[in-house]
Amino acid sequence: MLLVLLVIASPVSAMRFQERSLYMNSSEPGATTFYKVSFRYMSAQPVGSVDLLFCNDPIPYHPCVKPTGLDVSNAVLSEQTGEANFSVLSKTDNHIVLSRLPSMVTNNSSSYTFDNIVNPTDTSQAFSIRLRSHASTNATGVQIDFGSVRGQVTTGITIETQVPPMLIFCVAEEVSENCTGTNDNYYKDMGQLTSDSTLVTKSQMAVGTNASGGFAITANGFPMSAGTSVIDSPTVPTESKPGQNQFGINLVANSAPAIGNDPEGTWANAVPAEDYSIPNHYKYVPGDVIAYSPNVSLMKKFTVSYIVNAREDLKAGVYNTTINYIASGRF
Amino acid sequence: MKRFKSIVVAGFAILMTAAYLLPALTASAASSAALSITPKKNYTIEPGKSIKDTLVIRNLDKEVPLQLTLRVVDFTFNDDGGTPKLMLAEDAPQTTWSLKPFMTLPKSVTIEPDSSKTLDMKVEIPKGHGAGSYYSAIVYSSGSSEGGNVGLSASGVTLVFTQIPGKVNEDLTLEKFGAYSGSGNQASYKYIMTDMPQIMAYTLKNDGNVTESPVGSITLKSMFGKEYVIDDVNPNKSLALIGQSRTFASCIKLKEAEIDLNGKRSRSTECTKPDFWPGLYTANLDIFYGQNGNQTQEIVGTAHFWYLPWWFILLVTVVLLVIAYYVWRIVRRVKYGRPGPRTKAPRRR
Repeated sequence: MLLVLLVIASPVSAMRFQERSLYMNSSEPGATTFYKVSFRYMSAQPVGSVDLLFCNDPIPYHPCVKPTGLDVSNAVLSEQTGEANFSVLSKTDNHIVLSRLPSMVTNNSSSYTFDNIVNPTDTSQAFSIRLRSHASTNATGVQIDFGSVRGQVTTGITIETQVPPMLIFCVAEEVSENCTGTNDNYYKDMGQLTSDSTLVTKSQMAVGTNASGGFAITANGFPMSAGTSVIDSPTVPTESKPGQNQFGINLVANSAPAIGNDPEGTWANAVPAEDYSIPNHYKYVPGDVIAYSPNVSLMKKFTVSYIVNAREDLKAGVYNTTINYIASGRF
Repeated sequence: MKRFKSIVVAGFAILMTAAYLLPALTASAASSAALSITPKKNYTIEPGKSIKDTLVIRNLDKEVPLQLTLRVVDFTFNDDGGTPKLMLAEDAPQTTWSLKPFMTLPKSVTIEPDSSKTLDMKVEIPKGHGAGSYYSAIVYSSGSSEGGNVGLSASGVTLVFTQIPGKVNEDLTLEKFGAYSGSGNQASYKYIMTDMPQIMAYTLKNDGNVTESPVGSITLKSMFGKEYVIDDVNPNKSLALIGQSRTFASCIKLKEAEIDLNGKRSRSTECTKPDFWPGLYTANLDIFYGQNGNQTQEIVGTAHFWYLPWWFILLVTVVLLVIAYYVWRIVRRVKYGRPGPRTKAPRRR
């Protein structure tokens, strides 16, 4: 029953301020600047105080964690528009209470400018100001309207300053798992194409990143060709079929034909893309993502297996291709 | 004459040997394809101002120099994830959010084995340029190999995002919200889950002219009243690109670990199983977004899902069968005045 009463008495019954916004004159971490907080009062009731609580989390009923580095203890209310006649009743590092003689709200859209606010220093996360209006003059009692505004500090150079994010990537016929050694061979001869056998070869790549967004590797380049004659690639994972024109790759161990290895490395986040991780099934679509990690991933080594099949009437020539593996971060 | 003949023969032999060896030398002398780069750069630049920054590239190969060509290309999204779709074609049309015209950087660089190089780059926004998000990608390509049937080359990409402050058009719409499972393109929203739910997700459509990175929380409540709070609904600070329907996924319960990548300490997170009991769960989403000086927008949503593990389904089935059996017995006793067939009739004395 107590829980039910608490839920009923929670902010759900109040209205949300509308057209809420925060303008920070400087978004440099740690800078002393002015903030302009704007919102529209929604309830036609007498208001005697406005409570501004600065927290990482915007949700009013969650515990408030003060944004690192923020200091509003020297804030000065330098300008107010709309609902006016407020003065600062109290202030701490992350809390300001504005007070006035309770009077009916007549100017819905209002703004309050505070000088001498020291910006937070943590560029990796946004912060919020939780707003509440009260009939009392000291921000106690039942709240009338509520809502949050969001802000974030950014440096002129880069947001991610704590640990420089990096993406490590290497490709060769053979590579070590940490990319510090490769056999420096970047091409493979596959031999003589015939209609009754499958030509196979393999290459390796290793990748790792400490960026929170992870990585993606795409395979780019045309399928094998000789002049205008192209060996088609399956656009869906397909078994190797000698006697048909087919150029495909995958990133797992296969038995038909026997080629390739499963990914090596303990980091579970980094995986081959679904279409390229089916044993004995091959595919090649230029631009496809062939391996990815959705978040931080230490080094992982992938072995790419290549198969080529040819029909009897395939035009004679030297068939070749260059596959450009592109590793990128994710957004 | 004899001497001249022998000189010609020797010269021809050298030429033939050189011709035979040259392709192999060219191929083996190709660039290294092992590099370390910065995957992402973020800037905020006011119109009429510029930013000078550096790109640090490392050649990880201990023997071969790394020869890279640098190109700026535009990119967009592939799907509802965070993988960039690079527009690599030389004749690719410039996007409306392209940063290409404003970026200056070297066209090529050679880096000695096992060493780094720092390149200067500049982003300059012209005076009077409109506010919004602009982004492009720097592609570092190692030289392609010569010879063989399959040649290999490696490229790295740095994504560059720039915010131009001012009044912008921000418009996010909640498309989906709920429990989520699977990975890659097989991941999907679920209403009934037999495995312990570990991820909550929401999909937002961005119809504005800025990239958006929402913040907020998800509150989960079981049918018995137990509450779970996800207080960071965008832990990777992911972005919804312009025009994208982006799915943001968050772990219900997180496990964090410190990791070391080539001497750089970093923090990794992974989802672990929350202590859920079987039953119906209600999830409430409350997210905020808005650029500096623009309105803070709020999106709320509610979703429901069932967690019904197989052991629970089996248990409920057995219990229901037992109840059905006893109900059947009672019905028979009431209807016919005797128990069911498996119950022996009482002996008369």
